[in-house]
Amino acid sequence: MVAYIIRRVIVGLLMLVAMSFIVFALFMKNPVDPAQFSCGKNCPPERIEETRQALGYDQPLLVQWGAFAKGVVVGREYPADEAMREANPELVTECAAPCLGYSQQLQMTVNDEIAEAAPVSISIALVAVTIWVVFGVLFGVLAAVFKGTLVDRGVVGATLSLYAFPTFFVGALLINFVAIKWGIFPAPGYVTIAEGGVGEWLLQLMLPGFTLAAVYMAGYVRMTRAFVLESMSEDYIRTAKSKGLKGGKVLFKHALRAALTPLVTMFGLDVAAVLGGAIITEDVFNYYGLGKLAVTANETYDLPTIVGLVLLLGALVIIANIVVDVLYAFIDPRVRVA
Amino acid sequence: MTVSEVLIQGPDPEIDPEPRTGEVAGRSPMRIAMDRLLSDKVAMICAGIVLLFVLIAIFAPLLCKLFGVELRAGDPVTDTDSFNYPVIGPPNYGFTWEAPLGLEPNSGNDLLAEWFYGARTSLLVATIATVVSTVVGVVLGLIAGYSRGWGDRVITFMIDLFLTLPFLLVAIAISPMLVERWRENPTMLDNASLIALIVILSIFGWMGLARLIRGEVISLREREFIEAAHVLGMPTHRILFKELLPNLVAPIVVSFSLSLPATIAAEATLAYLGVGVTGRPSWGQTILRAQSWFDEYPLYLYAPIVGIVVLVFALNLLGDAIRDAFDPKSFR
Amino acid sequence: MRLKRTVIAASAIAALTLTAACGGGDGGGEDPAGEFKAGGGAGAGKDATAEGPLEIPSDAKMGGTISVVTNNAPATLDPTRTYYTDSGAIMSGLVTRSLTQYVYDEKSGDSILVPDLATDLGQVSEDGLTWTFTLKDGIKYEDGTDVTAEDVVYGIKRSFATDTLTDGPTYQTTFFKDGQKYKGPFADTDAELQKLPDYDASAGWYGGEDYDGVEADGNKVIIHLAQAFPELDYYASFPVFSPIPKAKDKDPLAYESHPMATGPYKFESYKPGTSLKLVKNDQWAADTDPGRFQAVDAFDFKFAQDTAKIENQILGDKGAAQSMIGYDDVTPPTYKSIKEKAPENLIEGTSPCTYMYRPDQTKITDKKVREAISWAYPYQAAWKASGEIVGVTIQPGTSLLPPGTAGRVEYQYPKGQDGQTTDPEKAKALLKEAGAEGFEIKWYYERDDEQSVAKKDQMVKGFEAAGFKATPVASTDETYRDDQSNLDAPINLRYGGWCSDWPSGGSWFPAQWIGSNANKPGMPNPTNFKEADADAKQAEILKMDADKVPAAWGEFDKWMQETYMVEINAGYDANAFIKGSLVGGVVNDPVKGMPSFSIMYLK
Repeated sequence: MVAYIIRRVIVGLLMLVAMSFIVFALFMKNPVDPAQFSCGKNCPPERIEETRQALGYDQPLLVQWGAFAKGVVVGREYPADEAMREANPELVTECAAPCLGYSQQLQMTVNDEIAEAAPVSISIALVAVTIWVVFGVLFGVLAAVFKGTLVDRGVVGATLSLYAFPTFFVGALLINFVAIKWGIFPAPGYVTIAEGGVGEWLLQLMLPGFTLAAVYMAGYVRMTRAFVLESMSEDYIRTAKSKGLKGGKVLFKHALRAALTPLVTMFGLDVAAVLGGAIITEDVFNYYGLGKLAVTANETYDLPTIVGLVLLLGALVIIANIVVDVLYAFIDPRVRVA
Repeated sequence: MTVSEVLIQGPDPEIDPEPRTGEVAGRSPMRIAMDRLLSDKVAMICAGIVLLFVLIAIFAPLLCKLFGVELRAGDPVTDTDSFNYPVIGPPNYGFTWEAPLGLEPNSGNDLLAEWFYGARTSLLVATIATVVSTVVGVVLGLIAGYSRGWGDRVITFMIDLFLTLPFLLVAIAISPMLVERWRENPTMLDNASLIALIVILSIFGWMGLARLIRGEVISLREREFIEAAHVLGMPTHRILFKELLPNLVAPIVVSFSLSLPATIAAEATLAYLGVGVTGRPSWGQTILRAQSWFDEYPLYLYAPIVGIVVLVFALNLLGDAIRDAFDPKSFR
Repeated sequence: MRLKRTVIAASAIAALTLTAACGGGDGGGEDPAGEFKAGGGAGAGKDATAEGPLEIPSDAKMGGTISVVTNNAPATLDPTRTYYTDSGAIMSGLVTRSLTQYVYDEKSGDSILVPDLATDLGQVSEDGLTWTFTLKDGIKYEDGTDVTAEDVVYGIKRSFATDTLTDGPTYQTTFFKDGQKYKGPFADTDAELQKLPDYDASAGWYGGEDYDGVEADGNKVIIHLAQAFPELDYYASFPVFSPIPKAKDKDPLAYESHPMATGPYKFESYKPGTSLKLVKNDQWAADTDPGRFQAVDAFDFKFAQDTAKIENQILGDKGAAQSMIGYDDVTPPTYKSIKEKAPENLIEGTSPCTYMYRPDQTKITDKKVREAISWAYPYQAAWKASGEIVGVTIQPGTSLLPPGTAGRVEYQYPKGQDGQTTDPEKAKALLKEAGAEGFEIKWYYERDDEQSVAKKDQMVKGFEAAGFKATPVASTDETYRDDQSNLDAPINLRYGGWCSDWPSGGSWFPAQWIGSNANKPGMPNPTNFKEADADAKQAEILKMDADKVPAAWGEFDKWMQETYMVEINAGYDANAFIKGSLVGGVVNDPVKGMPSFSIMYLK
């Protein structure tokens, strides 16, 4: 078991290394000068050179990547160029491990940016996950129990059509009607718990939470339904029924449990992805989370931020994968062999 | 699952079909599936809808002539009022055959013509991207599954790697770079934006299928007919494409039918984020322009949205039906 | 594919709006002949005796936060580089105090020039070559340290470093002593000077702190000029003339991340391109400031926001949206609905800019052809296609000087052309007369901007209907401005605009239509207009008595168009922006074409 976990972690680390290198190469070796990007439009040539040195873009790609990787492990200092650091000690910015980079545009480390934006994303994710898991499983069980009836068709049809709507449209509809026209919810604007208390915080997360959950719901409904149906036709359920166990008890004690494993898998991976910023939802509602940070960074050509975010999100998914795999290995020992 | 998730991961591994080949003697699995599909009313209705959209896309110019509308032919001076609102057509002036879907504010362009041609772009982009990612997925899956050792390891690693990259974020970040390559030649920009979009959708669409095919091949390669071909000295590429491929039709068809709607939805999502085609009408671009008119002139936005929703919904149902048809164990 | 959605001008129109009230980095003030003598007249009121504090209106509820939301994002907030309407309005209105400032005058509906840090509007010597500003006592920075005359002097010196601190106004290099030689405080060695672009060993360049064009004497700032600059008092309102403590300017390009505040608000956090949060500056003293007050606790700027979202929120006017204000021109649907629902939340006004189609004089040599363009151009269609609301965000006209400029003359040329009439027949007749049927017009448009493309489509239709051959040339959002200012561009018609730096005709003709600037790289004279008699007339006007100058420029405007048909007026820029119902004190500052942040409050 331990050996399996170690093997999975090593593969995960390898993947991170490979991903960071590819992302680095992709973004830094593109046809446009990254220093020019960082420096902005109308940047005088000598300033571009300075930026290039400050961010270490004058070094060969491998060296840059090495510095970056080292920064992730032990932290680093900016400007990247040592001579520049010595010349202007007051300008040195400390970037503690795991250092994901430094954004010239925002004059702050990517870590700080992420630390600022992450609570928003986590809040939205929390609410969204709660909504989609509770309602997804509930509707899924409902559909399975009433298989073939109008309820089944209604639930599956409704979630599937909700899924067919583009997220930005769902969000825009909610803002425009539920918030602005009907005034049921306040106009969207993120409020921290410290600012407005739990109630206000939650209230402001309902609409984006629902928007984000809407897309995921269909998958959970269908999966729950399929697995509950499958297990209901298994022998042990039939045995349980024939032993005279009540329908409800059979359903929750046996059938639903069978569906739990795949649900947990899917859940683990989805949560990792959602934590990484619901780009569309955050953009539509204008909540400054990781997704919005990504969109803004992209609009201002803030490459270090984009690279840092891609790596963070990738790492989240890799970690989730490892956790899910290990969980699986615990539940089903056969996995380890495969 | 978000749209992009489905796109990245392909169909859920959990609900993926595991075609039981040769369960019913005498009829090919393809034949059985077709029979099942043909008797499925919902699937047939959806197929009809999809076919309708395909016909609209192919015959967009003809349809425009038929309805007497013209693409991008509006005259702002005569067609719009002092607030730049159209002076004829729904929703403000009632239905008229002159402009069945109304006109576009500001420019006075006909929205029906825009919609017809938009369907064309959407389907074109989604189809090409799905075909490309399917081909890539099949080829890499075959190679990975058949070659033991390093080949397999490298491709599996690639699959996992691409599954790990956050799709939307990478897409919005690399599309300007792809377009940048044509920066020196702006007249090529229209094509550049189209190609960049297709490339992005393709490179994030192949992994699910590749993984699936790999699994299938691993289980198939130990079978007698493959062993026999191997012993007979058949060249590897022949074994892959003549012997193995025909046995993989089911997962390929299922995967294709489920990624197509995901790709269409992804295209609209990317357009919202500013990664879209320029220079030709597309639903995504119409949506982008229509957003500020949403409140006062909603038909502008609703038309392309309805197009996307209906098409994606029908394709999804159809894809489900195809999957069920191939998989006797599925539940409906 | 569009490179990006919102940040940095999304269209040609937006790009221009951004630069409103600035002379443009190219020509403004760089021409040595630009001797500005005009002054006075409409929009140029002055009050040298105005004193603080400014009274806060009685309906103001003290405190609260005003959210300012916009689709645009200021290029930079460095005081020295502030030369855009948006950054200028934010910095001058709230953060940095300069020697002089504008304050909105309710009676005339205009902005008038009043003292700011200085006790008056400056004292000018007999020969007009020395200006003296005396600083008020007790002015402090946000950290409590005293503002000194040295700091103002340092700020001015800093503005000569135009290669490091780009895009700022450049009048000082024309009018100040050694303006062409002094290169600012940063390049203080020969090696560094040699690194500057266009280095010329024989030009006698120098840098460093040692510059005697500006000096501090006690609490006096003394400016020495190379040539008379009667409108220096107007120019002194630019943030270039705000104090910058040298100790805080270790990295000049990083200074914008937190410029030291002297105004009623200071930076709390600034994310370029994204957001700016301003909070009360407790070191600011109301009784020294005749132009600003401190009625709210904070200003929260959000840049690069989606237009539709901004407008929907403000239109909805619920909760936090009630204390929101935008400064982008509204879109037609929003204009219509706010007119119907809450006209009091719509603010309309003028801005000092004219849009023009500018035929290249070296390529379209026949005046009749240029006149034909003015009849062929599809004014209404082009405006509408690019999302302008005629009469609201754009005003038709033919004089080049925008309304509100001193001495402006209204005229119609060609006869019957009111700045919005398209008549293909007249164009055809003129082309036939000139023997230029099928003349090819070539111009740039932005391939990746939907509105630019829509406008191009209308122009092609219009030009072809009038017997021209229309050849639009593709450019991109990113490169459009550079492409247009390329002297060798494969086009013969450019699109652009010009705005007043202060409300007087003097900041117009010598800057853009002087022959010595024609055919130069960067197109400081965008039409390559070079006629001996026009140059002579301009020189004559520059020598006139100050009180006769405005009218003379007005007449020159008319004469130039009638004689040479230099430009096709594509409309004056106008403003229409919206606010939430709780925001008070919102007026359109006609000098900048921006809302007046300095007198804003919450009701």
